[in-house]
Amino acid sequence: MNRKRALISDTFKVKKRRNGTQKFGAVSDGDGPTDIRSTLEYLATLFPRKLFNDSLPQIVLKHQLYSIHDDKTLVDKELNKLREQGELLMFQLGFDADAFGLVFAADYKSKVLAGEDGRATRATVERFLAKLLSPCTELSFSKDKMLKEFLFTDSEITQLVKSGVLTVRDAGSWWLSIPNSGKFTKYFIQGRKAVLGMVKKSKYSEVLKAELEERRTTSHVKFHMKYHIHDIVGAELVESIPTTSGTLLRFVDS
Amino acid sequence: MLGFLTARQAGLDDPLRLRRAESTRRVLSLTLNPDREVDRIHGNGINTIDIEVVEGRYMLSGGADGVIVIYDLENYSGKLHYTCKSVCTVGRSNRYVHKFSVETVQWYPYDTGMFVSSSFDKTMKVWDTETLKPAEVFEFEGNVYSHHLSPIARKHSLIAVGTKDPKIHLCDLKSGSRIQVLQGHRAEILSVRWSPRYEHILATASADSKVKVWDVRRASGCLFSLDQHNGDKSKAASEAVNTAHNGRVNGLCFTGDGLYLLTTGTDDRMRLWNSATGENTLVNYGKVSNGNRKKLQFAVSRGCGPEFVFVPCESSVAVYAVHTGELVSTLRGHYNNVDCCELHPDYQVPTSQFGSAARSSTLEVKTVTSWRGFLSFAPQMWRTSQKVQIRLPGPRLQ
Repeated sequence: MNRKRALISDTFKVKKRRNGTQKFGAVSDGDGPTDIRSTLEYLATLFPRKLFNDSLPQIVLKHQLYSIHDDKTLVDKELNKLREQGELLMFQLGFDADAFGLVFAADYKSKVLAGEDGRATRATVERFLAKLLSPCTELSFSKDKMLKEFLFTDSEITQLVKSGVLTVRDAGSWWLSIPNSGKFTKYFIQGRKAVLGMVKKSKYSEVLKAELEERRTTSHVKFHMKYHIHDIVGAELVESIPTTSGTLLRFVDS
Repeated sequence: MLGFLTARQAGLDDPLRLRRAESTRRVLSLTLNPDREVDRIHGNGINTIDIEVVEGRYMLSGGADGVIVIYDLENYSGKLHYTCKSVCTVGRSNRYVHKFSVETVQWYPYDTGMFVSSSFDKTMKVWDTETLKPAEVFEFEGNVYSHHLSPIARKHSLIAVGTKDPKIHLCDLKSGSRIQVLQGHRAEILSVRWSPRYEHILATASADSKVKVWDVRRASGCLFSLDQHNGDKSKAASEAVNTAHNGRVNGLCFTGDGLYLLTTGTDDRMRLWNSATGENTLVNYGKVSNGNRKKLQFAVSRGCGPEFVFVPCESSVAVYAVHTGELVSTLRGHYNNVDCCELHPDYQVPTSQFGSAARSSTLEVKTVTSWRGFLSFAPQMWRTSQKVQIRLPGPRLQ
């Protein structure tokens, strides 16, 4: 063994495995460069398309990825890379300062244009999308930027707001947004509250993840249970504890 | 580990490598030490602690009742089970004791002949350890949240003071003057910290969500203000532009080499910044729960392989790796909220002191082996305490 190559952290790997706690019920994922993308695709399948009559692209929340991968900084870095390549778009969803929605750029483009079919604003929206996917990693746009860099006129900006691609942020700046996502936000918050309530009302405010997935959901929960579970674990609203019978979710009192 | 020792013995490795490997191993295997106890003097919560730099033997603690106690951490009794005694106290019977809770205490960086304490009674007192009388009293217009003396200063002897005013006062120990004022913040200053690398660089954190870095030699404003989005104005809501956190910023700590700065805020986040450029390194620590309305004292390890930061999180101390953001472990043992932690330079013994509402302030030292000490203190709520029992883990002789 080459002494010079031995890292200090290597010394601790052996020690940790011997004395460290056993990981029960926790599945560890190998983190490779393409794994974030496959996780995104998996989470996107949990998104209910029929509920919105296929008018919305599949939205994944950024913190749902934290519940699957251990290293948050790495997840952030990979997401930024995908955004810079122009394959992924990030949106500020509005109900939480930290809640960011992720949509694949191709999906977004197709859904928005499908929604704009037959409307007068279609041309402006197409131009805007072309500029956006050029690639652009911004979440919001100020008036300056719209007028000078993107060369849109005031009336065109109004058209974009009307079509739902931009939402008002404050006087003179706009958030990038997903058209018709109001329903999504409403159902999402309702569902999150209901699932958290289910965990909180359980005995000792904790429930096994497998059991929670099996439970019958009320009419408030419109999304797939797994979608909500990834969300509450990733947002650290519940603690995820590995036990011999599987993962346990315990409500975090804050 | 034997490999490291043999290499050191044979001269194949740098001595620093062994030291670093051993300190990292100790930090990774920290547990609560049941053999050490600390004399319980404080009736209520303990707000702040400081271990002197020279020997690492004496520890100061400031309580919510205005009492200041000095403890001797060395174990000369030869027995395993040991209670760290208090050497002297500035108790309620002392003429010069602070009227309200003591918020920050700090030893004079070069010897233990002097220490400085600041409190909610709007004064900061410079005490002579021998006579326990204040050699100097600085009075302010608002509650003093935090003060700090530069640990490396040779050319100046300034104490930076953060009070309820949005101004930072710089008090000079040598002349007793307090003319210099740093203006720029808009709300109360919760924490101030000198850089351990450059003696003129000061970082301040305020309730207006901003952290500013100053060079005290400069007459005009701050050097820069930390921005969590790194200038990307599109990410934040418009009110949150150019802020370090989305809430009050109440904890500041430089890493040992002074190259990075860690800040914690009431938005339950901790951020790592490059202290030279003010850039947010975007390391994601996850949720670091923080409900403190006052300053939070936390500590970073020095001389370990990957550096670790010990942050009090409710009733435990969370240990994170500084540069990767992963949660290494959680040190549990306190019964109530932990308020402050301090790392002893030589004894990898984290001591946590906390006062619980139901019980009394206890000082607990967690250790695996002696070497680096770590002290954490919990803030105590104002309640009459019952029997206070302080357990200070001492170095376990192995």
